[in-house]
Parts: sequence; C-alpha cells; structure tokens
Amino acid sequence: MSEMKKTAITLNVNNETHDIIAYPNKTLLEALRDDLRLTGTKESCGEGVCGSCTVLLDGAPVRSCLTLAVAVQGKKITTIEGLRVGEKLHPVQEAFVNHHAIQCGFCSPGMILTAYALLKENPTPTETEIRRAISGNICRCTGYAKIVEAIKSLAEEGK
Amino acid sequence: MEKFSYIGKDMKRIDTASKSTGEALFAADLALPRMLVGKILRSPHAHARIVAIDASRAEKLPGVKAVLTARDTCGDKWGVFKYTQDQQFLPTEKVRYVGEEVAAVAAVDEDTALEALSLIDVAYEPLPAVFTIEDALSPGAPQLHDVYPNNINIHVHINVGDVEKGFAGSHLVREDTFAAPEDSYFQGEPYAVAAQFDHAGNLEIWMPNAGPHLKSKPLSNVLKIPLNKVRVRKITIGGAFGGRSEISPADVICAFLAKKTQRPVKIVYTREENTVCTRQAHSMIARIKTGVDREGRVVARDITCHMDGGAYSSTGPIATSVPFLCMEQAYRMENVRYNGYRVLTNKPIRGMFRTHGRAFACGVDIQLDRLGEALGIDPLTMRLRNARQTGDTTPTKSYVASCGLTETIEKTAKRSRWAEKFGKLPPYHGIGIGCNSVQTGFPMGIRGGSQAFIKLNEDGGVTVITGIVDNGQGNDHMIVQIAAEELGLTPDDIQLITADTEVTPSDPGSYSMCETFIGGNAVRLAAQDVKKKLFRIVAEEFGVGEEDLSAKNRKIFVTKNPEQSISITKAVRMALTRNESISGEGSYWPNVDWKREWVKNPYGQLSETFSFGTVICEVKVDPETGQVEVLEVTASQDVGYALNPKVIEGQFEGGVAMGGQGGMLTEYLQWHEGRVLTPTQLGYLVPLAIDMPKINDIIVETIDPKGPYGAKEAGMSVAMSAAQAYCGAISNAVGIYFHEYPITPDKILKAIEEKKKGDRKE
Ligand code: FES
Ligand code: FES
Repeated sequence: MSEMKKTAITLNVNNETHDIIAYPNKTLLEALRDDLRLTGTKESCGEGVCGSCTVLLDGAPVRSCLTLAVAVQGKKITTIEGLRVGEKLHPVQEAFVNHHAIQCGFCSPGMILTAYALLKENPTPTETEIRRAISGNICRCTGYAKIVEAIKSLAEEGK
Repeated sequence: MEKFSYIGKDMKRIDTASKSTGEALFAADLALPRMLVGKILRSPHAHARIVAIDASRAEKLPGVKAVLTARDTCGDKWGVFKYTQDQQFLPTEKVRYVGEEVAAVAAVDEDTALEALSLIDVAYEPLPAVFTIEDALSPGAPQLHDVYPNNINIHVHINVGDVEKGFAGSHLVREDTFAAPEDSYFQGEPYAVAAQFDHAGNLEIWMPNAGPHLKSKPLSNVLKIPLNKVRVRKITIGGAFGGRSEISPADVICAFLAKKTQRPVKIVYTREENTVCTRQAHSMIARIKTGVDREGRVVARDITCHMDGGAYSSTGPIATSVPFLCMEQAYRMENVRYNGYRVLTNKPIRGMFRTHGRAFACGVDIQLDRLGEALGIDPLTMRLRNARQTGDTTPTKSYVASCGLTETIEKTAKRSRWAEKFGKLPPYHGIGIGCNSVQTGFPMGIRGGSQAFIKLNEDGGVTVITGIVDNGQGNDHMIVQIAAEELGLTPDDIQLITADTEVTPSDPGSYSMCETFIGGNAVRLAAQDVKKKLFRIVAEEFGVGEEDLSAKNRKIFVTKNPEQSISITKAVRMALTRNESISGEGSYWPNVDWKREWVKNPYGQLSETFSFGTVICEVKVDPETGQVEVLEVTASQDVGYALNPKVIEGQFEGGVAMGGQGGMLTEYLQWHEGRVLTPTQLGYLVPLAIDMPKINDIIVETIDPKGPYGAKEAGMSVAMSAAQAYCGAISNAVGIYFHEYPITPDKILKAIEEKKKGDRKE
C-alpha cells in the first residue's frame, strides 16, 4: 500500500462534481459510500455476483464493487439517491413501493436501478426479458414475483 | 359502513419508500464523528489450543487505537439457556472452528486495521478435530467441550402413547433415513455493528437483530453495566430468517473496542464472515419409522434425528425440538417417540433457520407418499387423512384453537389441478405436495410477553412505542395498521418508536413468529386503552354511554347517529385541559405453559396458536442433464386473518424461493475439513429471478380466537412446506424417491441410471 500514491479523482455523481483524493485501487463503491457518503449503494458480496452495488454509468448498469473510481472520471454516474425528482419518487421507485417489491430493502437500490436501465432501453419488456435483466441482482426476501410485477406494470404503461 | 378501514386491506408499506431511495440506513451505513474501523482476527484452525497471543507489534502500528484479546473480555461465557453457557466471546483456551474470533483491533481505517491483524502473533497447538456427526459420535473421538460427553450437546426425548404397540397393530410399517447438509441464511445485508459510549458510560449500539431486548441483556451481563445503560438502537435490517436473534461476538467485541478507545467503532462483516461466523443451518440425518392402518392413517411413529450443531450450543435445545414439533402440529400422530440429538463438531455454529430441518420435513412427507403408494392411496388423500384439526391436542399437549390445514390442502389441490395431474402426467413430469405447521412464539420466560405505549399529540396524532422489530417482513407497517384501525386515525397520523431498548418496553423479538400474535395484540390493547380514555370524555360530553361510541376518519361519533361527532383533535384537547391522562398502555402475555421446557419437560401448551400450510409443486425433469424445470407452485397457508394480503403473498413467495427452489435444488454448503468452500453467492446458489416459477398464492383464514383480528403469522408454514413439495414432485417425475437433499442434477442422473439398470426399484 505504501508504494501506491494517492491521486485526485473527479467524479460526476447525480449531476454534481466531487473531487476526492484516493489510492488508484479504490473502487467506485468505496468512493461513493465512504467518501461521498452516498450509502444508498449497498455492498452484499463485494465480488460482482449480487448486484446490490449497481449504479448507472452513462445510463448503463455496472457493479460499482468491480469498478475502479479512477476509471470512471468524466462519466455520468447515477446512484439511487439521484433517481427521485425533488420530493417525488421516480416512477420505478413508486412502482416498487406500490407493488410490494420491497421487503428488507437491501437489494432494492440495485434492483431499481437495473429496472430503470432496462425500461430506458426497452420500454415494453416481456416477463422473460424482465427476469433476465434482473437476474444479476439477488434478492433473498421476495422470491422476485412482486419485483417482476412492479416492472411489468411500468412495461404496460410503456405500451 | 365497512367493518375495517385498514385491517385486511392491501396497503403499501409505510417503510418502503425510504428503502426505495437509499434513505433508509442499515448498520453498515452509519458514520459517527471520530469513528474507527473494527476488524476481527479469526482462527485458521478447526480445533486448536491457544498457547499465546502477542499483540505488541499490532499495538505499535501507527493508526491502531486498540487491540482486544480474551484478557479484556474476561473469558465470560454466553448461552441462550443456563445449561448451555459454553461460548466465550473471545476464547481463552481453545478455538473450535475455522473462523472463530481470536482477537480484534480498532484502527483509523480499514487498511490499517487489516495490517494490524496480520501483526498479531497467535501460537496455536492444533488438536484433532471432528467434522461429521458419525466421527463426532465414534468412540475415542476428540471432545469439543468437557461438559458434553461424547459430543452430545442436547438430547430431546419425547415419548407419547405406546409406540411398540402401535407398530404391532399397524397394517404397514416403513423405516427410512433422510439426510441433508448445512444450508445458509444468506441475508442480503452482511452483518454489521456500530457502537459508542458516552461520558456517563452509556452504550449505544446498532446491529441487525431479531429482538433488541435479546441483545441488550447479554451485553449488560458481559459489560457488567445495568440494562438502562445499554441502548440497542433501531436500524433498518436486511433480513434475519431465524438468525440474528442471539448476541454475536461481534456485538461484544465492538462494544469493548468502543469502550477501550472511547470512540465510536464499526465492524462490517464480509460476505464470507456472514456465512461462516454468524450462524448456519444444521445438517441433519433423520431416521423415521412410521406405521399406518389400511386407510393410511398414522398409528405410530418413531423418529431419531441427529443434527450437526457445530462448535457451540447457540439455540440448540430449540433447534433440536422444532422440526419435530412442527410436524406433530401438522399431522395427527397418537403414539410417537422422538429422540433428537444435537451433536457438536468442529464446524461453525448452527442456529434456528426459517426453513429449519428440510431432511426432517421431507422425511415425514416423502415417507407418507411411499406408504400411500404401497396402499394405493394418493399423496393428497394421505395428507387429508392425517391432517390436524381444530380442537385437537398435539402429542406434546398443545391445544389447537384454530386449524385450517385441510382447507389449505383442498384449495391448493384444486388450484394446481392435482386430480387431473397426479399419475397422469407425461414421463419425467411430476407433481408433489408438502405440509407443515409453525408456532407463534414459545414459552420464553421473562421476555415472553410484549408491552406497548401510545402517546398522543395535541392535534390527535400519536406515537406508538413498542419493542417489535422489523427484519424486512413488514412488522412496522403492521403496528401502524393496527393503531390506525383502533384509534380511527390514518396511517399518516401514526409515528413509531420501535426496537430501541432505551425507550421501548419488553418484547420477545421476531424470531419465533410471535410479533403479529403477541406484539400485535399488545399494540391493539394499548390503542384500545387510549380509545377508552377518549371515549369516556366524549361520552360525558354527549351524554351517551362509552359503548355507544365509535372512532373512524379522525372522528369519534355516536355509532347509531354518526352526525353526532367530535374530531379526535378536539377530544384530545378536552382531555388536556381537564388534566386527564390519555396515554395508552397495552400488554400481552400469551397463554402458554410456562413449565414447559425444551429438554426437561417437553410437554404442555407450546404456543397459543399455530399456522398451517400446504405447497404443491409441478416439475419437468430433463433425463439427459438432470436439470429440473419448475413449472408452477401453489402455496397456501392458514394465516388466521390476513392483516395485509399483499405482505402475506410476499412472504409466501419468498418462502417458496428459499425453502423450495433454493432449499431443494441448489442450496448447500461445501466443505473441506471444517472450512467452507462456498461462502459467497458465487458458489452458494441462491435462486435468481430467472429460476423462479409462477407462484399462486392462496390465503386461508380461520380467524384465530386470540390473534389480533384473528391473525396468526404470515408465511412460515409455506416456507416450511415448500421443500417437501419440490421433493415430492421430482420423485414423482423420476419414479424414484429421493432421500438426500438438495436434489442436484448429479443425484437425479444417478437415480435415473440406477432405475434403468434395475438396481433401484420403486
Ligand atoms: S456488492 Fe457488487 S455485485 Fe455484490
Ligand atoms: S428485499 Fe431483502 S434482499 Fe431483496
């Protein structure tokens, strides 16, 4: 660690610019949670399997635990805190709440961002497309049925 | 007018909006000024004597603020029961599993803390270890604890009726053995704890828990400070599933580090630590002998079950009993003997799990299928003929006040079109059924009851204060629903202070499915207390009797003449100016037999009421690959009364995923000599969205005479029935009954091969 040098890293998160000083091996997840205190992004596995740490990078979902902070300078990063508009929940958040897609809520930020990205790319996904898209996000509580319903309700609106 | 405004309605939960935005804080999200990072040094040995610990190099590392060893924790021992106090928070003499806590550090950042751990020198003298039930029980085996001869930690013995006579009089008797390895909770949130002391020696501590009061008492004991100085705070919790009920060494270590440094300290577990160093589910071998009459009714049953408990007792007496108790509730059995043995091995500690005992439950259910087949009776009829009924008394003497098992079986069968399918499906298609029953609490000593307070604001809004904890299942919302309903307020008028031991009164915690029944009743009584006090004032004002009044839509009104009304705000203001106390108090103490004890006296009323569930599963097996495709699952439970149907459906669906899809197809821990090889989601396969079948939910209501509005509990019986349904369906598809779980493709291919060769005839 001592041979590695800290460097300045500029991150654009939720349309705000942040400068942090960190070792180049700092993950985006650590930068978001520890430096920017954006703790809505969760860590459940730390090795890219569970999807809890999902954030959007120029609109595409990535696993922030496998992404280095230095590598995403100049990109637009969106975390769960950046989704709602003012006092109002984003429609994806609202659908999750209305359809009981949230139990303990630990997987929810990552799940919601994955759903958001899916619907941006494909506003009318089929059930199979929905299930495929969220299969990189593990939920231990819900059995996924209500999550799929929530996303489906938006897909129907998209029609 | 509708009977209820909120009860029984599909309401969106009050806690989920903040979980959708990232605003809800979990323990790992906490940051306090001057907070340090805590890390734990763990044993690399499965069994070893600790010869010496030298932490001097770690202490000298810049940035290290404290090193903690057993010297600091005084070697105190913890156990859920007086007779199971066997686990030291930091061991003084020996370590008993790979991953056991040995020392800890608090440092300015994670890198420094990890470096410090590597500078702690521990001299071990490795000892021979045991890793299986068989090895642990074999003569001359290494012993884990002096106090448990032959490594037998707990023996539960139950004997009712005359089992031998029952077998002698049976038309048909079968004996089979069923087995399953350990499974894991895999809560979404890895364990985390944060703690700080103030100048007056008060501890504030946050951690995921299934009952804050279950945590505060042992903390008070080990820290040797009174309970009023231990403030277990409310925090959002990322799942418990039967775990997180006991004190964790991490809680104690974090508190001691905070005390030593006089700074806040936070310990966040890695996924691997959550799997290895919290709790696991028991591996199990169940030998079941059952005798039935000509019609398939069980006459006698004799069960011997060995459970691998790992290195310490944990909730051992409960864990050794519960798989049997669930089944004796679900099915009638008059002559029955049970011998449950919890055996100690040099493996991580096992606790109570939401789907505890898949080998046991599948054993009972699959054996019923086999007996039925021999008699020419289909599995559905076997269930119906043996199903528990309202008004029965279980073998261990619990009266069953309400039971909808038969209704769940019938409705599930109808919805899944059992009659059209069983025995008529194409090759390698199958259908199976499972049933089970779950308690709503146990005799839990002094913490067996729940109390609640309600405080009113001058505008009529209230704050409900209760020890009920929400692990993610929606308990907070339940409290709001009940309070709003009783008081005639809206959910928006209700604030909560819950699960905070500084403020909230005693409560048993959520781990035994008692929060709806016990905690919910206490909240309801507190609200009724407030209502009574307000009604007294309003009745006087209106010149009517208190019993003539109702409360709804923020108003108190004369039931027969709703025009004559007064706003609750006004009623509260009247009370204030008259100097009348209108705060509410409620307390619920369940009617169970307090003399019942898990080992010494396993007879008497166990729980005031029980839930009952049925799951039917339909599968297609690929004979080339052994892969199972689950086509449809139908899940049903007698929940008493559905307070919030959507919440209950969510519990059913989660229960099917964990108990059936994961529990019967993919979930098990793999080992090498006491070391977990699959501690993360990479190797331990939790079901994904793409794996899950369509699930039909059927809610059955029996209106329990004592439950709040008739409610019992919301989904555990489904979770405990799903494995059997999956197992029955796969067995039905392949034409071979499976006795070892989970049923992975290799087992299926082997069975098909043997069947072809004629080695295994079924
Ligand atoms: S924490 Fe990043 S994928 Fe699990
Ligand atoms: S809601 Fe708990 S992990 Fe998904």
